[in-house]
Amino acid sequence: MIEIDHLRYTYDGAAWALDDVSLRIADGEFVCLLGGNGSGKSTLAKHLNALLVPDEGRVMVDGLNTADPEFVYDIRSSVGYVFQNPDDQLVATLVEDDVAFGPENLGVAPDDIAVAVRDALREVGLTDFERHETHALSGGQKQRVAIAGVLAMRPRVLVLDEASAMLDPRGRAGLMRVCRELHDAGMTIVMITHYMEEAALADRVVVLDAGKIALEGTPADVLARAAELERLNLEVPPSCRLGLALQRRGVPIAAYVDERDAVHAIERLVSGEAAQPARPDAPSQAAVAASGEPLISFDHVSFSYETSARERSRRRRKKHAKKRAAWGSDPEAVWALHNVDLTVHRGEFLGIAGHTGSGKSTLIQHMNGLVHPTMGRVSVRGSNLADKHASAQAKTLVGLVFQYPEHQLFANTVYEDVAFGPRNLGLSADEVDERVHEALAFVGLRFDEVAQKSPFALSGGQQRRCAFAGVLAMRPEVLVLDEPAAGLDPAARRDFLGLIARLHSQGLTVVMVSHSMDDLAELCDRVVVMNEGGVLMDGTPCEVFCRADELRRVGLGLPAAQRMAGALRADGLPLAADRLYTIESLADELARLAGEETR
Amino acid sequence: MSEVFSFGSYYPGESLLHRLDPRTKLLGGVAFLIISLLARDFLALAAIGAFVVALYAIAGVPAGRAARSLAPLLAIVVVVSVLRLFTDHSGPMLFQLGIFSVSEGSLYSCAFTAVRMLFMMCGMSLVTMTTMTLDLTQAVERLLAPFARVGLPAHELGMMLGIALRFMPQFATELQTTYRAQVSRGARVASGPLGSVRMLSSVSIPLFASIFRHAETLSAAMDARCYHGEEGRTRMRPLRYARRDVVAAVALAALALCVVLV
Repeated sequence: MIEIDHLRYTYDGAAWALDDVSLRIADGEFVCLLGGNGSGKSTLAKHLNALLVPDEGRVMVDGLNTADPEFVYDIRSSVGYVFQNPDDQLVATLVEDDVAFGPENLGVAPDDIAVAVRDALREVGLTDFERHETHALSGGQKQRVAIAGVLAMRPRVLVLDEASAMLDPRGRAGLMRVCRELHDAGMTIVMITHYMEEAALADRVVVLDAGKIALEGTPADVLARAAELERLNLEVPPSCRLGLALQRRGVPIAAYVDERDAVHAIERLVSGEAAQPARPDAPSQAAVAASGEPLISFDHVSFSYETSARERSRRRRKKHAKKRAAWGSDPEAVWALHNVDLTVHRGEFLGIAGHTGSGKSTLIQHMNGLVHPTMGRVSVRGSNLADKHASAQAKTLVGLVFQYPEHQLFANTVYEDVAFGPRNLGLSADEVDERVHEALAFVGLRFDEVAQKSPFALSGGQQRRCAFAGVLAMRPEVLVLDEPAAGLDPAARRDFLGLIARLHSQGLTVVMVSHSMDDLAELCDRVVVMNEGGVLMDGTPCEVFCRADELRRVGLGLPAAQRMAGALRADGLPLAADRLYTIESLADELARLAGEETR
Repeated sequence: MSEVFSFGSYYPGESLLHRLDPRTKLLGGVAFLIISLLARDFLALAAIGAFVVALYAIAGVPAGRAARSLAPLLAIVVVVSVLRLFTDHSGPMLFQLGIFSVSEGSLYSCAFTAVRMLFMMCGMSLVTMTTMTLDLTQAVERLLAPFARVGLPAHELGMMLGIALRFMPQFATELQTTYRAQVSRGARVASGPLGSVRMLSSVSIPLFASIFRHAETLSAAMDARCYHGEEGRTRMRPLRYARRDVVAAVALAALALCVVLV
């Protein structure tokens, strides 16, 4: 289907973004492209549908050369391309108009377009969404509309360029389901991703590094090579990590890429019926966070975007009268937050989980008085934020880092940008200077190297650090982060989370919103789960993640180790149900059980 | 907020008016304005009023909704008609207060202007109430198409208008996020002229950066979906005049005759 021969490409004429890449993709194959940021994945993908044309070498799609301008539209209609950001690629206000855009460009007859649109929407599971407005959809739904827009051109290959990177777990699951179904129906799929669980579903994995193909093979073959993947800024899927951890403990087991396979293999090995679940001597994770003095407290806080009480009751009536939408968060919902009681203690690391639209963002914006509760009160260090002075004070005490903070960079130089906060505080030039030095050092940027550069000239990861420094320069006591690692590759993600953990260990109180249950389980002292504007659960990670069924009901998952432990327990292995497992502790436990077995 | 500025905001429905070709509605709206301006006396206005009421009934827009939609513009009606009250001096004088004088003629023209403006607004708001913005942009594009021969980029204008509309709510959200992020870093509007300038640039520059970023990917995304201008492009729902459009035109012509003849 696609033949790439000795492809070389450069953006600036100085360095090869792709250097001598040769690749064959067969009809009906599911290929996953992996690689760290800047490894050339997207550049390669853009060659598949002639968005880019090789500088050297040749790309053939279905026997057509992409360099020939005559075939450009034939190639683009047979190779559909879905981009990363769902907000960037939808052209129309209405779903059906957007899906129709491709066929319209191809000059398809009106009646055939209508059929193609209906079919495409059905294939992505969005039947009857024709007249919805695109901006009101959830991220996952927008991506599925984007896929439908491509499918309406009846392509034979679908290229997904990190299409799942900006989605929450629910959205990602929906997207993967669509991909699997299309692949089963015979579509060739080329997917770029940072999520190893997704790569595990592919027929073949291709890892790029600095514009060259570094590894290639089946997922089972490639994804288990821990050392090499680490070097390439990638990570090993959790089921493989468990397999490798077991191997290190002398248990003869292969590293499986697919979680179900891993669970079955382990189960065959360890069917210890007699063995008793081990009781850890000390409640290992139950070590309750030292509950310091309360810093931020929410007292029966409710918030509605509708400020007038009359309007609220009218909306409530309307909501009851109308049938509730079957999907996503309800736009008619009256309360974004409802009766929330919550305390953030000094020195703790609080995690907040919940699917999109559950009220997380609204919640954290209350913490420094950006938005004020419609009912109830929020106080920081005992003073009510309804007071103007207290609210201004809270902005220096509580540093808020928004999602994708690099999108808020604005100054001419990194120095100016980081200095923005301290200057707003009215500090002297010397103090400002000192704080900029300190903040840049905190985030691991070298002052001499970056201070006088334009923030827009930095790499993506550096931009995020710079924006982060801008908040740290305020010297907050509490750091509130909304999805701090969103959109980073595994290596950058590890670095960044390590940075946050370091700040926490230096005494900063941290509140982190995250979609990644693994990150929450690993880093937090306490986890709060939000659902429909209320607090659903509040407890130690162990307490929260032992309630698997409830979490699944609100569209959330479990940390990988906990998920595998649950599957093993369901198959009859004696694993404690009230314990939070990490990959390592689960491996310890399984190795012990396997040891008893052989004895 | 949307409840306050609801002048002519779309009212979903399936009525005859909703299904009318947007070009007909746009041209009809303009024709209606002209007809209203041709009206000379209250009898003609009564005909226009009856016409408007009938249209609202056909469109199925409830009276409350129509009134709420007009409320914000009543101020204009009041100002204009009060101006008429003091500028028209025909007929016998009723009373005089300093430079202000009110005559029978001025009272008449004041009432006449008020009613006429009210009807005109009702008519125009009905056009946007029964037409989706997107259809309106397509109508503008098609109506301008004849001017393409003299170099007017009609298709491009329509496309730009459509994309601008699509991105409007998104930029509003992004602007709010950026504003909140900078406020979190202690930015205040009311902190002297220097502070205000800093505040403004700290919010506007990220917005421009975001617009460029979106534009870049959007153009690639449009390329990837084979967009290459208007040539050879079809429409899923091509605009086609139907019999109901003829009916609408006849109704308007009848109204015009009524107004001119009485």
